[in-house]
Amino acid sequence: MNVELTAVDKSYGGTQALRGVDLTLGTGITGLLGPNGAGKTTLLRVVATSIAADRGEVRLLGRDPHAGHAELTRVRRSLGYLPQELGYPSDMTTFGFLEYVAVLKEWNERRARRHEVRRVLDLVGLAEQSGKRIAKLSGGQRRRVGLAQALLGNPRLLVLDEPTTGLDPAQRATLRRTLSVVAHESTVLLSTHQTEDVAALCERVVVLADGEVRFDGTVVDLVATAVGQVWLADHEVPGAVMTWRTGTGRHRVVGGPHPPGAEPAEPTLEDAYLLMLGPSAASLPA
Amino acid sequence: MSTTTWHADPALLQAYVAGELDAVLSASLERHVERCPECRGAVRPLADGPLLDEAWAGVRERVESRPLPAAIRLAQRLGLREPSAVLLSAAASLRLAWLSSCLVALGFATVATLMSEDRLWPFLLVAPLIPVLGVAAAYGDADDPFEALAVTAPYGRTRLVLLRTVGVLVTTLPVAGLFGLFLPGPAWIAAAWFGPALAMVPVLMALASFIGPRMAGPLVTILWCGVVLGAVRELPPTWPIEATQQLVYVGLALVALAVLAARSVHTRKIGAAL
Repeated sequence: MNVELTAVDKSYGGTQALRGVDLTLGTGITGLLGPNGAGKTTLLRVVATSIAADRGEVRLLGRDPHAGHAELTRVRRSLGYLPQELGYPSDMTTFGFLEYVAVLKEWNERRARRHEVRRVLDLVGLAEQSGKRIAKLSGGQRRRVGLAQALLGNPRLLVLDEPTTGLDPAQRATLRRTLSVVAHESTVLLSTHQTEDVAALCERVVVLADGEVRFDGTVVDLVATAVGQVWLADHEVPGAVMTWRTGTGRHRVVGGPHPPGAEPAEPTLEDAYLLMLGPSAASLPA
Repeated sequence: MSTTTWHADPALLQAYVAGELDAVLSASLERHVERCPECRGAVRPLADGPLLDEAWAGVRERVESRPLPAAIRLAQRLGLREPSAVLLSAAASLRLAWLSSCLVALGFATVATLMSEDRLWPFLLVAPLIPVLGVAAAYGDADDPFEALAVTAPYGRTRLVLLRTVGVLVTTLPVAGLFGLFLPGPAWIAAAWFGPALAMVPVLMALASFIGPRMAGPLVTILWCGVVLGAVRELPPTWPIEATQQLVYVGLALVALAVLAARSVHTRKIGAAL
């Protein structure tokens, strides 16, 4: 297994960000879903060796990153990480930035390094922008530069914090294609607010809320938890976990008691996710 | 749409691909091939794939490569390894803006020293702080999202900070040393200020391993200002750089280096504040 977390706790000051998180990941893509403040970024930072857990056991790529500098460095050699927010020096070009990160990843031989930088630029569709200053790229292009740096060296463990933020639908489709290729031999752990990304991309989904794992299983299993709890009604229904008026004029009702006269609807991943969060889902930011 | 009815024969295309045509004929054929899909299709299988890839990689290399800053190119000639040069080229503390501001500050300090009678304090106040503040800046901002990549990379942030520190010292000390040559008084003064300058760098780094560079930089600056300005009225102008004080600086540097060595185990751990 490439990621093994056992009873991991992490707190910042008085705030408990992770509570007894257990997680085991092999190859493939796992999506991390959860509302803001659920602990997604903290969990990803622990897996990316950016921060240390307060308690619990962390094993990455079969090694203990806390066992010493040598072990930590071995883990980091096979790690790609896209932080939620990535700053770029304004005067650097796309190519220059990726080359800088490639050196940090110990690509010391100039020819091989530049070849690798071109490979990841092609992979994310930014070959045309390689000589452009990063400050002049669009938000979506900058996000792809961030993804490109994470892909340098074909890492066995890829940790992506909201990689689809700022991407348009076509760019998201390209990202999904890229990651599905990478995931054949690597472990990809990504967080997102987009349930459709998880549905389209991830074989496995982990729902995190209040620092705890609420669900860990396949996307199909998560959707199955909502069977029989989603309806289409002609009127707004009180007492539901979530209800909204759809484009057809009917009301989609998720959770709560069966509304009289409503017909059952096929649940989606979003329905199941909202149900998993329970009544707190109603207060989620839009 | 192309309206051409003439097409290059295979022998001509073969000669073109082999580079056997003269410049005029070659350019003429290129113009035609650009506009004629049929000839483009005919020339494609004749081209050597690997050779084309290599040529294209060469073009990209020329387009994508940006020259490294002059100071770093000079350092490369003096033996700096190419990967280190790439890392140093991105360091804020080695950018032209930083180096220019150092030059201006040193210039003013030197002029102020030359204009005051029998006083060294303006130069002694500024010159040793230039490398110190440069090294403090070399840490980068721990909250800077760009630094998040250095933290999780195998190269390691500690190594990166050390590399930038060496870069700062190599670029600032010789320049400041040149300004020192203009100082009035005995010749040894031009070199003596290196003592506190070199001592304050490990002191800063040792303090930074506890309280971070943002706090350590101003703290060392205040301490040094206290030493220099405190000596202005009652003590000789050379007091901060005389032999006894130099011994104190050496002692401080040794203690700081010992602390740094002891702290290195901690600063290399996951999530250590550097």
